[in-house]
Formats: sequence, C-alpha cells, structure tokens
Amino acid sequence: MQAAQNGDSQAYVHLLKKIRPRLQQMVRGRRRFLDAADIDDVVQDILVSLHAVRATYDPRRPFMPWLMAIARNRLADTGRRHARQHAHEVQVDELPITICEDEANRVDSYGDPEALHRAIKILPPGQREAVEMLKLREMSLKEAASVSGASTGALKVSVHRAMATLRKVLDKGAGRGD
Amino acid sequence: METDKLIQSLAADARPVRPLASPWTRTGLWLAIAIPYLALVVIVISPRSDLLTKLTEARFLIEQVAALTTGIAAAIAAFASTVPGYDRKVLLLPILPLAVWLGSLGEGCLSTVRQLGLAGLSLQPDWFCLPAIMLVGAMPAVAMVVMLRRGAPLFPYLSAGFGALAAAGLGNFGLRLFHPQDASLMVLVWQVGSVFILTMLGCCAGRTILNWRMLTASGHR
Repeated sequence: MQAAQNGDSQAYVHLLKKIRPRLQQMVRGRRRFLDAADIDDVVQDILVSLHAVRATYDPRRPFMPWLMAIARNRLADTGRRHARQHAHEVQVDELPITICEDEANRVDSYGDPEALHRAIKILPPGQREAVEMLKLREMSLKEAASVSGASTGALKVSVHRAMATLRKVLDKGAGRGD
Repeated sequence: METDKLIQSLAADARPVRPLASPWTRTGLWLAIAIPYLALVVIVISPRSDLLTKLTEARFLIEQVAALTTGIAAAIAAFASTVPGYDRKVLLLPILPLAVWLGSLGEGCLSTVRQLGLAGLSLQPDWFCLPAIMLVGAMPAVAMVVMLRRGAPLFPYLSAGFGALAAAGLGNFGLRLFHPQDASLMVLVWQVGSVFILTMLGCCAGRTILNWRMLTASGHR
C-alpha cells in the first residue's frame, strides 16, 4: 500500500488483486442473501472507497485493520441500502391479469424439453450462448457480460432475438404435432 | 464494470498521495490556524477590562483550561474518527475535560446557592453568547470541515459532532476573554448551552459534510 501511495501502479494492481478474494469472502460470509453479482458490486464499492481514502493509510500501522474498517463500513451502508430497497417491495404469489385480451395473458407452455433443446442448438452461436448463460444458467447480465466479453446491451439484443426465434420454431413444431 | 477492469482503472488513476499525519499532529495544525484567528478576534473586540484579575482566579482558570482542553480533545477525536482502523478509545478523550468543565460550573452554582440561597441563581437573557461563540469558532469550524473531508467518512455524524464541539469549545474559550459573564449558571445555560446547540447542529450536518458519495462520485481522487 505504501508503494501504491507513492504512485506505483503495478504494486497497486497486485495489492488490489490480492485483497479482492478476501473481500469477496468477507462479503459473502456476512451477506448471505446477496447473489454473485451483488457481491461483486459491494467489492467494487469497497475498492473505489479504499482508493478514495488511500491517503488515510499510515504506513507505520498494519494494513488489514485499515482495510477491514473500510470494508465493514461500506458493507453496513450496503445493508442499509438493501433494507431500504426491500422495504418498498411487495411480494405477490401471482401477478394479477391486467389486460383482457387472451393473447396477452397466454402462458407459453412448450411441454417438450427435447424440442426446446434442439431449437436452442440451431440458434446462431452468439444467440445460443446468450440463452445458455442468461436463461439456462440464470446468470445476471453483468456476469454474462464479463464471461462472454460482450456488452450487456449486445447480450440483451441477442437473447431477445433468440427468444423470438425459439418461439417461432417451437410454435411451428407444436402446429405440426396438433 | 468488471472488477478486473475497475482495478486497472484505479491503478491507472493512482497518483502519488501524501499519507495523512496522525490525528495528534493534525490537531496541532488545526490549532495553528485556529489560535491566531481566535487571538485576532479577541484583540479586535478588545479583551475584558478585568482579564488580568480573572487570570489569577482558580475557578476561571480551571474553566478556561477545561473548555480549551475539551476543544482540543474533541478535535483529536474528530480526526481519529476519520482514520480507518484507528483505536476507537480515542473517541472517549473529550469526556474527562468536559466533565471537569461541567463539574466546575456545577460546583459554582452550588456554592452560589450555599452563599445566597436559591435567589442567587438568577438567570437573565444573554443572546450575545451564541453569535459570539459562532464568530470566534467560525474559522476553526471551516478549517475543521476542510481537514475532516480529507479523511474517510466512516462515522459522519460523530466526526462532524466532535468537529463542532472542538470549534465551539474554542469559541467559548475565546468568548470568556472578552465577555464579562462569570456567574456559573449564566455560563452553564448561555455559553455551554450554545456549545451544546452548535455541537448538535454539527452532528445533524454530518452526512451532508462527510459522505462516501461525494468522495467517490467525482471519479477517483
């Protein structure tokens, strides 16, 4: 940290990469209700905060108590923010029907998993990858973006097109079966 | 943003920074700004005519030393509260001088009652104290805010409250050098009351003065 305070960016990268898993572990341990994407958000928040107050580190004092004091403080803020957000959420078992047309309230029920599997296989590679990550593996957009290297916007477009193609293909298949 | 990319971006932005001095040293720097200003205000308003006599009275000296020490201890606590991982016992530092200050004033009230009965505890309005303490404490308060904002906003309400107590304590110390009001009850109600009000106002402004959003929103410092 002392080297980082002196402007040594290599040492700084090394330090931040080294503390990252410890921070992830700490956040995961203390906030079990957070998913992977939220944990990453908190860790990033801690890293940005650490960076903003790096001048408060005294090289004569141990590093970990300094780091953990920042991490605990940011974690408490996250907890408060999370509680505030959830205080305004209303849990419902079933969403009420708001539009009268049958088409709007139709639930897609493609009962044949094999057909769905085959349909996914014939999708273009980008769309197939997006569906696999976001729909089958239930990754968040942020996680999928970091794994694939695509932007979240591109992933949204891919998954939208893929869903439209799948619906068309499966509808055709269902029509043949009827 | 991906965490690896964030780390690279933080490192790219890592200009050299000078580590903050210890809370004790920073308090010394703060006093170096506050005391000359305080002396200037006292000279401009002109010191009370009986100041030399008062400086020989034990009660006056105890109360002045206690007010000054409360201000200094509160400043140390304020600066320490913005250093992550710093020993939190330092935050208890202002308790002792504050107790001596209040104790001396309380004892003054009791001795007045013993000498003159309850009639001796008369309370007249003195609206001069609050603005005068604010005037003497103005520059120390501004310096305190600027210095606190260089630290980490871990406990914004507490840090700002200690900062306000430091400035108001010093303000009260200065006030008594030019304002001839020595009746213990009057000092307790109007002067210490003003210090208390200013400390509470400082506490309330804590989140506005010190927050993470301000530090991190403008990019990386």
